Amino acid sequence: MSLPPHISAKPAFSTSRLPTYALVGNPNCGKSTLFNALTGLKQKVGNYPGVTVEKKIGTTFSQHGQPITIIDLPGAYSLAARSPDEAVTRDVLLGRRGDTPQPDRILCIVDATNLERNLYLVHQILDLGRPVIVVLNMMDLVAEAGLEIRASRLEQALGVPVIPCEAVAGRGLVELRVAMSRHDLPLSRHAWDVPGPIAPAVADLQASLTLNDGKSPLSARAEALLLLTDLDSLRVAGSTPLSPRTNEILRTWQTRWEGQGTDWSAALVNSRYDAIGRIAADVVVHVGETGPTVSDKIDAVVTHPIWGWLVLGVVMTLLLVSIFTLAEGPMNWIDDRAALLAELVKSAMSAGDLRNLLTDGAVAGVGGVVKFLPQILILFFFIGLLESTGYMARAAFIMDRLMSRVGLNGKSFIPLLSSYACAIPGIMATRTIEDPKDRLVTILVAPLMSCSARLPVYLLMIAALMPGESVSLGAKVGLMLLMYALGTFGAFGFAWLFKRTLLKGTPPLMIMELPPYRLPKVRDVLLQMFERAWIFLRRAGTVILGISIILWFLSAYPKASGHVTPADQLAQSFAGRAGHLLEPVIKPLGFDWQIGIGLISSFAAREVFVSTMGVVFNAESDKENTAPLRTAMLAAKWPDGRALFTPLVCLTLMIFYVFAMQCMSTIAVVKRETNGWKWPIFQTLYMTGTAWILSFIVFQAGRALGF
Amino acid sequence: MSSTFQTIAALVVVAVAAIWLVWRMLEKRKNPGCGGECGCPSSEIKTDLAKLGRGPSS
Repeated sequence: MSLPPHISAKPAFSTSRLPTYALVGNPNCGKSTLFNALTGLKQKVGNYPGVTVEKKIGTTFSQHGQPITIIDLPGAYSLAARSPDEAVTRDVLLGRRGDTPQPDRILCIVDATNLERNLYLVHQILDLGRPVIVVLNMMDLVAEAGLEIRASRLEQALGVPVIPCEAVAGRGLVELRVAMSRHDLPLSRHAWDVPGPIAPAVADLQASLTLNDGKSPLSARAEALLLLTDLDSLRVAGSTPLSPRTNEILRTWQTRWEGQGTDWSAALVNSRYDAIGRIAADVVVHVGETGPTVSDKIDAVVTHPIWGWLVLGVVMTLLLVSIFTLAEGPMNWIDDRAALLAELVKSAMSAGDLRNLLTDGAVAGVGGVVKFLPQILILFFFIGLLESTGYMARAAFIMDRLMSRVGLNGKSFIPLLSSYACAIPGIMATRTIEDPKDRLVTILVAPLMSCSARLPVYLLMIAALMPGESVSLGAKVGLMLLMYALGTFGAFGFAWLFKRTLLKGTPPLMIMELPPYRLPKVRDVLLQMFERAWIFLRRAGTVILGISIILWFLSAYPKASGHVTPADQLAQSFAGRAGHLLEPVIKPLGFDWQIGIGLISSFAAREVFVSTMGVVFNAESDKENTAPLRTAMLAAKWPDGRALFTPLVCLTLMIFYVFAMQCMSTIAVVKRETNGWKWPIFQTLYMTGTAWILSFIVFQAGRALGF
Repeated sequence: MSSTFQTIAALVVVAVAAIWLVWRMLEKRKNPGCGGECGCPSSEIKTDLAKLGRGPSS
């Protein structure tokens, strides 16, 4: 069998220097899947655009076992960056990042079913004058789309190795690894005609970029073409401003072209598309019928203005029903084991502070949170399934109709969706949003989406609000849906307000690619699910354990003199005093000082509320046996004998948790993403203020109505 | 185990927990990285970054 021309029979790298490859391509063309397949890492992948917003670095090995560094870059349609994530790609490729060396070589991954559109970025990258390998991904879908791709013709046209591949199934990886192992990768021989009147401008800018900005000649030409395409030096140059001379040359040409009344920038883009069109016409053959695909047929229902909403509602209901029903058994099992462990400690040790610390602090605090692990697993299993199949992009499409009415950018959907898991990746995902005001609005409202840390609080409150088996599952699911809807519509409401006051801007347009439906990759779904479970358990075993220990101390010290009841001891403790200090502020919401302790500790992380309740109410319990937290909470009373956790208080507390900003990690990320303290402080104040006002209205109105 | 010993042991555990939480908070301030566990790169990527002598991307 003869080897293709790009595969070398010679040994790979003779030099000791490790080559660095950048992995680039359009959004959702399978970059992260290929990155994972090559490096063996578990970078998050999803069947929707915008999953990767920051570069990731991994290592693969050449055919001779030598390490090769790969940098997975965020997806981009062009090198003219319009959003922060695209700017990362542009800056790394142009060698502008201080923390990342300019890649020696570039792996350009393209979606073979959309070759012509994907070739625009490839074409720009070839201008950079670096060795390039083109990876034709999703070859399995090419035949389904009624196409045939002549890879060898593309190889001839571009003059670089072209490797057909199915990253998701691992096909083509051997050939790719062999091509990557070559130390004599050719530079592209592809030439395209820059329109005659533009050529002098390219030459002028190239010369100035080389002389005044210290660029290499090839890189300078690529940047000159970018500048003339975009005519926006800020957008092209990013954080490394151009020299005054280069700026002056650019302005001179811009003025000259404006005077001529000819849009030479568009002509430059068109001439590139013409060159790409000629290549695509030669490479892509339509062999099958081009009727509606299976994806098109499914989309007719799931993106329908009416049926689409129905499908979304059914999907969400199914998810929440599963959370309640499937998790019940494992949750009870964990609860029983925690109680057993506490009993074991009690029987093994004599009474004393260390025993109390272990049972009332560590076991009650951590066990109270860990019992929600099954529900977290189910939530992320479903989210993984929806992402993997491609349904999430359809949900974004459906929601965009609503989001655009409140002035939210369509690209806000993915960050908002990610925030249902955790606001931190959601806020980081806002880097795909081009408009800075739209991005800021999304950052400000993202933490209103009910994250998984709120789930334990909601579930505990629902359990307290609707005790016993007599309450229908529908009511519990309905209440949970209501909390998720409150957060979502609250976010939309505030986005509407911000877009009309603080951050006025033009109504955004949504351009989003709907990826084809795929069968879910069970491995990816399970990996993502276990990764989230691990994060949850790690938090429980570290931060929550630490806070539970401190909380135990704060609730057990200073020791009251004489023989006092546990309730009196708690009231006199440091935690009790802090709770009492807060009580005047929260009493109008129906909360007492014990709930106040939970609210204070929740600022570390929301789920700490549950462990705090575990510590507070176990500490207060007179019984030797560890009572279920729900029972202990329901037995709690105000000094006048009224029940503390009435249904109205539970509902009010849930509403407070929907809106309050109680996550230090999120505040830290908002500070980083907005470059200052102004917006995180504003966000904390407006969210917590809203939480207080709404809770006040609900509690007082409920009381006036006799609840 | 005497009551006094239990009290001393419990206070030592509390002190260790407090020192660890403060240390963790200061570390986060010094190197905020991704702000928390949720958005951080996996440990394998962190190891790779360390091998390459580069800090986590920010």
